[in-house]
Amino acid sequence: MTKYSMHDIDRRRFLGAGVAAGSALLAGSLGSRVLAQDGATVTIADIGVGDPGGDWSRFTEATGNQVKLVAIGNSPSAVVNQLLAGGGRKAFDLVNIVGGMQRPLAEADLIQEIDTSRLKNWEKDTYIAEYLAPGTKGFNFIGYEGKTYGVPTILQADSFAYMPDVTGELDSYGAYFDPKFRGYVALEDNYTTAGQKTALYMKKSGLAEISDPADMTPKELATVIDFLIEKKKEGQFRVIWSSFEQAVKLLVNKEVHVLDCWEPMVIAANQQGANVKYASPKEGFLLWAMAAYLVNNPDRSEAQTDAAYELLDFMLGPWYGATITQMRGYITNPQAAPFARQSDLFTADEADHIEEVDNRVKEKFSYGGTWQNRWPTEVDLYEEEWQRFKAA
Amino acid sequence: MAEVQGGMKPSLPTSGNGGILGSLFPVLPRTVLLIVPVLFVAVLIIGPLSIMAAVSFWTKTGFTMKPDFSLEAYRTFLGGVRLSIFFRSLVVATFATLIMIVIAYPVAFLIARRVRADLVRSVLFLFSVPFLVNYILRTFAWTDILGRSGWVNEVLLWLGVVDAPLDWLLYSQFAVYLGLVTAYMPFMIFPIWLSLAGIDRRYEEASWMLGEGPLRSFWHITLPLSLPGVFAAAIFGFVGAFGEFAVSTVLGGTGYQLLGNSITSALDVINYPLAAAMSTFTVGVMAVLLTLWFRAFDLRIFLAKILD
Repeated sequence: MTKYSMHDIDRRRFLGAGVAAGSALLAGSLGSRVLAQDGATVTIADIGVGDPGGDWSRFTEATGNQVKLVAIGNSPSAVVNQLLAGGGRKAFDLVNIVGGMQRPLAEADLIQEIDTSRLKNWEKDTYIAEYLAPGTKGFNFIGYEGKTYGVPTILQADSFAYMPDVTGELDSYGAYFDPKFRGYVALEDNYTTAGQKTALYMKKSGLAEISDPADMTPKELATVIDFLIEKKKEGQFRVIWSSFEQAVKLLVNKEVHVLDCWEPMVIAANQQGANVKYASPKEGFLLWAMAAYLVNNPDRSEAQTDAAYELLDFMLGPWYGATITQMRGYITNPQAAPFARQSDLFTADEADHIEEVDNRVKEKFSYGGTWQNRWPTEVDLYEEEWQRFKAA
Repeated sequence: MAEVQGGMKPSLPTSGNGGILGSLFPVLPRTVLLIVPVLFVAVLIIGPLSIMAAVSFWTKTGFTMKPDFSLEAYRTFLGGVRLSIFFRSLVVATFATLIMIVIAYPVAFLIARRVRADLVRSVLFLFSVPFLVNYILRTFAWTDILGRSGWVNEVLLWLGVVDAPLDWLLYSQFAVYLGLVTAYMPFMIFPIWLSLAGIDRRYEEASWMLGEGPLRSFWHITLPLSLPGVFAAAIFGFVGAFGEFAVSTVLGGTGYQLLGNSITSALDVINYPLAAAMSTFTVGVMAVLLTLWFRAFDLRIFLAKILD
């Protein structure tokens, strides 16, 4: 049932820059937004997972507005290139990417604060109050300095994949560093995922004193990187992967037995015949959320802004949430699962699946872990240290 | 000597003052015709390079940067791990180029001398067939061939040559070199073939008639006269391998870093000054290397030496 498109493949950071640039060019050349006969056309730049299979008809029926979805890369450079240098501020109304980017985007005046009172589904989304409320770590995925900049469209908790037939049951990130799996472990090429999970493991297992794995001091960071380098030199890691397809192939080909990855990769690998499980580590999960940002375009008309808000509200709604959960395996909002059950738009199996995903991810969130930090305080040092690890 | 130089050129149509352009634009002075490509170079190459060099001295301020004359980006580059990545790229590109020449030259020689004239185009076309497939996909395809459960290991295991899959076939130095060679070597065959095909065979025949054997004739006549093509091919291979980032990412394993990867990584945290500093430094080094290369392999000097 769950089908992964190329958009999924490029979920976070490997959406081809060329595709994004081409889309931006196309968007720019065709005009930033074309007023349709019955309303406005809202342009949303998305990393792929926010696309409900191209079907925005329910939004159009409800509001009279159209949606134009264009691809955008998820890396900070891809986003800033589009918004700052690529004319994206004029081309896009919304940008739907993995959240946590408010600080750099707001400081550069590229996004606007969200007026949540204009979103009737905001209050209905109890996940926001539960996981992303101001004052909590989760708020860092949608807010900055007390203001809300992102509308949470997806929630997820990451860990790692393993092959139970070979490794037995695993419940700790310690598997990454277990000599039993030497040469059969792969990490993601990302200091905010692999690096942060390693920090979480080192903290929880007492290997290092780390105050906050999500935002390490230079000394803490150096300790984590030194540890990773030591393991790398011992031959612990087979590869550092950097794309969805690459990670799935590592599992399907049994190139590795323990893989630091995202859950959709496990689903994709199992669909291709592999027996792979997604771990529930005792140290906790890497929590994250997608955020739809309202692009700061001073030339945008009030009517266009209204249409953008209507789309944001639609994305907090039941049909969109259920569809995305069904397609991607991420949870969206609390209305999704009951809607799928009650509506004749989803089969019983689909409703079961949506409910199962919803419960599973909520369980992970209740267990906790560390919120991914896309833009740590020492972000340049993180990048430099990750280079040190990779070059070692 | 003048005859030799003339003889080494491929017999392709040329256009001088009295050529096609001259007849089409009899009234346009040569300088006007030249100004268009010069402007193109200035606008499309010198301009962006100048901007890049200027940005390398700017200061990063959060998500943006401000004009400045700071050496901070160069300090970060030259004082950190990135310098070792630069040298690694230099070494890898050099060795990969040498390997590619060693393979491409015999292939080009066979095409130029052993393949029937009416089949040459078809054979050359075969070497361009891989380019019909996306470069990234071609690189990824190696993981299916060289992996632990890949075709090579499957065959070796089936034949009983090995007891366990060979790990070093993939995610290794070997895999990176293989990826580089297969990616850029075909580009090198064409200029070498062109150079070999343009050699006036009478020089080799004269050498033979004067008593030299095939090997010495090749060494003293064919090889020197084909060097312009080798030189051009080496540039294609070296520049491609030096700026490579996909091969090292896909086939390199545990973070095999080449300079292209390091620059991309800096861009991921919006560190444009650092990326610009690395690129500017690299362009400078490449310019120096190419200048030395041109001087060391000046054809006239080279031919004068061997003809003395």
